[in-house]
Amino acid sequence: MATPEISWIAILPELLLALGAAGVLLMEVQWKPRPTVLGAVAAGSLVLAAGFSVIQWFQAGDAVGAGDPSELLVFSGLVVMDGLAVFGRFALLAVTGLGLLAGWRYVEGLGRRGAETIALVLLATAGFSIMVASNNLVMMFLGLEVGSIALYVLAGMSRERARSDEAAIKYFLLGSFASALFVYGVALIYAGTGEFEIIAIREFLSSFVVLSPAVILIGMGLVIVGLGFKVSAAPFHSWAPDVYQGAPAGIVGYMAAMAKIAGFVALARILLTGLDSLESRWLPVVAGIAALSMLVGSILALVQDDVRRMLAYSGVAHAGFIMTGVVGGSTEGVLFYLVVYALQLVAAFAVVAAVSGPANSESGLDAYRGLSRRSPLLGASFAVLLFGMAGLPLTSGFIAKFGVFAQAWSSGFQWLVVAAVVTSVIAFAFYLRIIVFMYMDDDDAERIEVPTPVGWVLAVAVGTTILWGILPGSLLDLAANALPL
Amino acid sequence: MLTWLILLPVIGALVVLATPGRRKELHLPLGIALSVLPLALAIYVFAVFEPVAGYQMTELQTWYEPWGISWSLGLDGISMPMVLLTTILVPIALAASTSIAHRAKEFVIFTLLLEAGMIGVFVSLDLFLFFVFFEAILVPMYFIIGIWGSDRRVYAAMKFFIYTAFGSALMLAGIIALAITHGQQFGEVSFALSDLMRLDLGVGAERWLFAAFALAFAIKVPLFPLHTWLPDAHTEAPTAGSILLAGVLLKLGTYGLLRFNLSLFPEASVDSVWIMGGLAVIGIVYGAVVAIVQPDLKKLVAYSSVSHLGFIVLGTFALTSGGLQGAVIQNVNHGLTTGALFLLVGMIYERRHTKQISEFGGLQKVMPIYSGFFLFMIFASIGLPGLNGFVGEFLVLIGSYTTLPALAVVAASGVILAAIYLLWAYERVFAGLPDKEENKVLSDLSIREISLLAPLAALVILLGLYPNILLDKIAPSTEGVLDHIEASTDYQVPQPGRLGDVFVAEGD
Repeated sequence: MATPEISWIAILPELLLALGAAGVLLMEVQWKPRPTVLGAVAAGSLVLAAGFSVIQWFQAGDAVGAGDPSELLVFSGLVVMDGLAVFGRFALLAVTGLGLLAGWRYVEGLGRRGAETIALVLLATAGFSIMVASNNLVMMFLGLEVGSIALYVLAGMSRERARSDEAAIKYFLLGSFASALFVYGVALIYAGTGEFEIIAIREFLSSFVVLSPAVILIGMGLVIVGLGFKVSAAPFHSWAPDVYQGAPAGIVGYMAAMAKIAGFVALARILLTGLDSLESRWLPVVAGIAALSMLVGSILALVQDDVRRMLAYSGVAHAGFIMTGVVGGSTEGVLFYLVVYALQLVAAFAVVAAVSGPANSESGLDAYRGLSRRSPLLGASFAVLLFGMAGLPLTSGFIAKFGVFAQAWSSGFQWLVVAAVVTSVIAFAFYLRIIVFMYMDDDDAERIEVPTPVGWVLAVAVGTTILWGILPGSLLDLAANALPL
Repeated sequence: MLTWLILLPVIGALVVLATPGRRKELHLPLGIALSVLPLALAIYVFAVFEPVAGYQMTELQTWYEPWGISWSLGLDGISMPMVLLTTILVPIALAASTSIAHRAKEFVIFTLLLEAGMIGVFVSLDLFLFFVFFEAILVPMYFIIGIWGSDRRVYAAMKFFIYTAFGSALMLAGIIALAITHGQQFGEVSFALSDLMRLDLGVGAERWLFAAFALAFAIKVPLFPLHTWLPDAHTEAPTAGSILLAGVLLKLGTYGLLRFNLSLFPEASVDSVWIMGGLAVIGIVYGAVVAIVQPDLKKLVAYSSVSHLGFIVLGTFALTSGGLQGAVIQNVNHGLTTGALFLLVGMIYERRHTKQISEFGGLQKVMPIYSGFFLFMIFASIGLPGLNGFVGEFLVLIGSYTTLPALAVVAASGVILAAIYLLWAYERVFAGLPDKEENKVLSDLSIREISLLAPLAALVILLGLYPNILLDKIAPSTEGVLDHIEASTDYQVPQPGRLGDVFVAEGD
């Protein structure tokens, strides 16, 4: 191989994020500025990265339009700049921005550790961003680890609290285990195909008949399990409730949303691009995981008395719904669902943080009694977000669910769709339960003040939930064009 | 125009939302005033409505093209009366809610949003759009029951929501299946009702889809044995909630059966007339028998709804002219009379804070005007000739006797049972001398309360004496439904089923 081509431009967004992280840390060491200054640096790198992603979006569209998509493969095929990568990265950046805003009160409260938190957030985003843009399974693993390790640390940031420690350790142990499974799966796929690059794997599988594909299949299974852990799909979800409950409220929405977006984009890329000719082998597995996740998540969420654990189990159910979209065989529904759900999740945890204090670990249902009176803004926003997650019409959640259901139905998984609609009704029950506490229970306890940044996050999340529920075309068109190479 | 009919209540809700929360005395009058605007528009729509088959005032706007969904609205003789009924009942329900002092602003907002959703359901010609409205109305109703209901309100609200959402979830799968089948047969996915009526589904799939839709609507109606949510929801809901629940929300079920099941799955509909009619008749008798023994006045009216809606479903699946016309007009009649009965129960509840029949007695001595209205509405509900209930039930019984004679005979007993439970209730509450001290000091109806009941009473008489004012506009559309069924199946309406247009003498 000749000298590897270096295309700095392609990974400029990730470089900007990493530089931002380093800058934040160095400034903290050198000048100890106010948190606002560090926040401005972080915001600057996010905005630049996002702006650059927009340019890449048009580049990707032009390259596909010109019939020469191979120029999107850079770094000798390690990184791919296709629509899926750019869309996924943009979603990650948006969630990061909102996550930092939602957790700003928390970051400020951490004092000296605030800078570390900001830097870790930027690093996690850089890692996941690499992950969604990887055409190479090893590269993908690197991105996954950079992102995940940052998240483990973030979970334990408020280390004075035993719950936070417990969450961090649990997340770290189970997460590393999942990463190990993933990398072992990558190794087996390599053993079976001789390729690390996803596009090369696809070409290999479509041009050769593999007589004994057992090694590839085991590798595929391990990759699915590893990513299933990251997106908290059942039966690999057991860490999620404890981590969601224990990690600081200010940051947990960000953590959960990032892992979901990156994990599902990677899963969709591997299954729908690399292994699409083995579809008949992985479809039943993924459909089974989807059905199990929906059932387990919805039913266990019913019996929770803690809003965060409830959101964790609802996240398991949502992983199942998104898997239904993967079964449907197109990235459009998956991407729309991911963006919609990620925004709602970040905002929902912003509400949790506002109600129970940003570093706290307690968020029992009782704390939400009469919330609609104590803070009409929080109450109404949370209600809209919950209806959105429940998938009621006129919210983006309905469009998202409808999209993945329709795809799954047309690819012949009628039973999965029926299971999905029935579990969505089960899920209504626990979303409504929170609303009962907020609206149907009068308690004139002290009013809750909403921090301004949280207000912005709520405005964005509630606004898009309603906007995309009524006019979904703007986002659906983008998602439909965000195709993998 | 139909878009405005949906948007006016939404705009009204936004106006109320924008008024300051401190001006508590302002919200309800403002809401009533704003809800008169859609009523005025609906009356205009009624006036210009042509008595012809097919949809009128149609509007079509692409919503999201790749998915084949559109903002497609239209009105025919089946939906027009329902829109009119909705817009009549909402101002009355709001005006009946003066006792709601607590969080009145939210109450008005939810009621207006509910109105928009209900109108939306009736005017949608796109199944996706229909489903959006059908499911969206659960939310305001859930809040209305859950916040302003009585003691077990949260339980009732949850039960209402989950029950009906369960039915519609399977219908959603059915809608997806229809749209995708259209994609397979005609090359593009479509949710338009007129497109989906052309599908060739095959017997097996058609039966499944019929079942999915029928389940959703049967829960809504509610048809025996899926009715158990209804007594809870009715008893716990505030008066306005009960009026709209009985008056309009239940009709979404009967309307859906008539509009979607008959048109989309004609073959399966013809095959299932005995099952659906049988369930309807069981509901008629069961609802009436259970109503007899109710100690609670509101529950009694609730169970009478189960019984009365059985007639509508029976008429629908009679598949004759009389049956269908009777079903449509009985939708309106039941909305008027039962709405009025719930209103009356609410008025006595405000005075005595109880709905137990045993707590009353001899009220006609103390409250003669109230008793008069109550008796009048009871007669309308029983189906006394000259009042509206008679027209609908008579048409249904004639219509169903042609095709389902055995069921029609049993159903007729429902009329007698209705007389038993309603008149017996009247006797216990109103007849004799007041023996309880609390009852002796009750005040009779105020001018305001009379002005709420008078329009309903006037409509009851109008539709009883001159039903053609509606039937003329209904008949072409119901005939259209029968034409479609005859054209797409081997079924022929047996004579004299097609001549059952007793009340449509002129012009035919």
